Amino acid sequence: MARKNTDTRAMIDRYRWWEVMAIYAGIFVFLFFLLSPFIEGFLVSLKPLSQLFSSPYRFWPENGSFKAYSTMWDSVPAFGWYIFNSFLISTVATIIVLLLVVPAAYAFARFEYAGMALVLGGFLAVSMFSGAVLLIPLFRLMRTLGLLNTYFAMIVPGVAFLIPSAIWLLRTYMMRIPVELNEAAYMDGASQFYTFRRVILPIAMPGIVVVAITTFIGAYAQQFIFALTFNSKTEYMPLPVGLFAYFGKQDVIWNELMAASFVGIAPALIIIFFLQRYLVGGLTAGAVKQ
Amino acid sequence: MGQLSLKSVIKTFGEFEVVKGVSLDVHEGEFVVFVGPSGCGKSTLLRMIAGLEHTTDGDIVIDGKRVNDLPPVKRGIAMVFQSYALYPHMTVFENIAFPLRVEKAPADVIKKKVEAAAAILHLDTRLQQKPGQLSGGQRQRVAIGRAIVREPEIFLFDEPLSNLDAALRADMRIELTRLHKQLGATMIYVTHDQIEAMTMADRIVVLNGGHIAQVGAPLELYHKPQNTFVAGFIGNPRMNLLPARCVGTSAAAVTVQCQGQTITLPVAGREGLVGSDLLLGIRPEHVALGRVDVTLRVVPHVVEQLGQQTVGYAALEGREENFLFVLPGTRGIQDDQPLDVGFRAGDCHLFDAEGNALERQVDLAALTAPAG
Repeated sequence: MARKNTDTRAMIDRYRWWEVMAIYAGIFVFLFFLLSPFIEGFLVSLKPLSQLFSSPYRFWPENGSFKAYSTMWDSVPAFGWYIFNSFLISTVATIIVLLLVVPAAYAFARFEYAGMALVLGGFLAVSMFSGAVLLIPLFRLMRTLGLLNTYFAMIVPGVAFLIPSAIWLLRTYMMRIPVELNEAAYMDGASQFYTFRRVILPIAMPGIVVVAITTFIGAYAQQFIFALTFNSKTEYMPLPVGLFAYFGKQDVIWNELMAASFVGIAPALIIIFFLQRYLVGGLTAGAVKQ
Repeated sequence: MGQLSLKSVIKTFGEFEVVKGVSLDVHEGEFVVFVGPSGCGKSTLLRMIAGLEHTTDGDIVIDGKRVNDLPPVKRGIAMVFQSYALYPHMTVFENIAFPLRVEKAPADVIKKKVEAAAAILHLDTRLQQKPGQLSGGQRQRVAIGRAIVREPEIFLFDEPLSNLDAALRADMRIELTRLHKQLGATMIYVTHDQIEAMTMADRIVVLNGGHIAQVGAPLELYHKPQNTFVAGFIGNPRMNLLPARCVGTSAAAVTVQCQGQTITLPVAGREGLVGSDLLLGIRPEHVALGRVDVTLRVVPHVVEQLGQQTVGYAALEGREENFLFVLPGTRGIQDDQPLDVGFRAGDCHLFDAEGNALERQVDLAALTAPAG
């Protein structure tokens, strides 16, 4: 990398070999801390249960296999259902968030009105609340509305918590879309809605995809606390709580629990993989001369 | 069709008045250029005509109809933005077709009009490309194409060439002039580039601080600036202004003392001028080497050799501002070497203490008459 720099590269981009080594070492340390729990979790899922508590502890599995990935379905027959619930809750929450946030972010990005800073500040303040602080009032609210033990109990509060950060994220993105595009469309006779639909929305797509991904992941992650509090029925149970089924009265089936965790995040990974195709950078290239 | 009148038009942003009562008549088919320094209100005035800015007071009249409260599309105008404002996700075809799609024109009409516009602008082979794949000049042509398909009576251009490099700008100037002749539409063009103004305009509107400083044909502004602002703004390098004192006047001439010399200038005198302080203006390109009607001994401290001309910056005794002179061709002038330069009395301009010009006795028609 260091020596392959061509003459056209700026001097500031050139690194000496030891600088390159230092950069890679930094990346390695960072990745190690980030990935080590996942690596160990994956290795645990490959180990037979008997090996997990052997002394001394062995990091690498002996006679490792993917057996836990098949037996996990027998130990907790409802596991597939938990994945479906998680997927459903996150998808519906993401769709609702996008339906509300995309027009809202556009309005916050393009129109100025009295008290806008207050409203945006309010969103920020709300997003600083920990969900746990509001659990008891939310529980009372859900009970009053008759939503306990329904999907809505896990979707509605989730949406409320996900909206503020999504609005901030997408508003920032939309503010970068040149206002001249709105003016040009207005000059051409396009209505606000037509401009939004035909001009702004396609250009904002990468930003919308980022918001969709972060919202989906956020919705997946926050299910645990809402499901634990607002739901006691197996048929509505999402994955994070469903994983507790691997905690028996006497022991925990650790290898299957880890296997189930990896299988459980697969749908989210597939969704992200699918969506990231739309994360095309520089979509506004050529719109205006900056 | 395509006649525009501005009647005492005012624009304020909060307490700040940007456009201060501008009145102007633009004739059908005319190419009018607004020029002025940054913040003079030229772009704001254009945006008011476009309908992108609300008019605080006064009337904007297009073809006899007051349009203050009409949206742009109902004013019969189209605008080309400085930044192109192309839709990056659409092809060139779709960009140009956009206004037609908005008005739900039939597909065959859209195709015909877009292809006609593309032919005029030499974009025929680019119709399926996206703006990101085009050069700056091509992008600006797409923006113009989007304006053309609407067949507006008035085209508005907001510094359309300022993002292009010098060579491309010269090409586009010629293209726009050709387009104006071809379409015959009224065009209003904002720029801070006086070469664009001088070369393209039928009339130039010089704006200063929200007021019109002067309206006139390019050469009228050059030869007969009405005030020191226009005198300094039109022409590059800017006009030299030297302090002078009036010592005599008649209907067709004023005698002044300037730099220790007495000069009689062919400008219209008036009563009460004798004894007053004046400013004598001389354009750097009207200064020549050697002794002429007025001769000055100068010491240039910077000499710029441009090949086609030589520009000198000299200090005059008792003055902080540089005295500029432009000599044709390459001259063997050196820094800090004193030399005599001079200029003809007939080339001089004279301004009163308020900066208003005393009218030069110049026959513009004779100046611009065809040679031979």
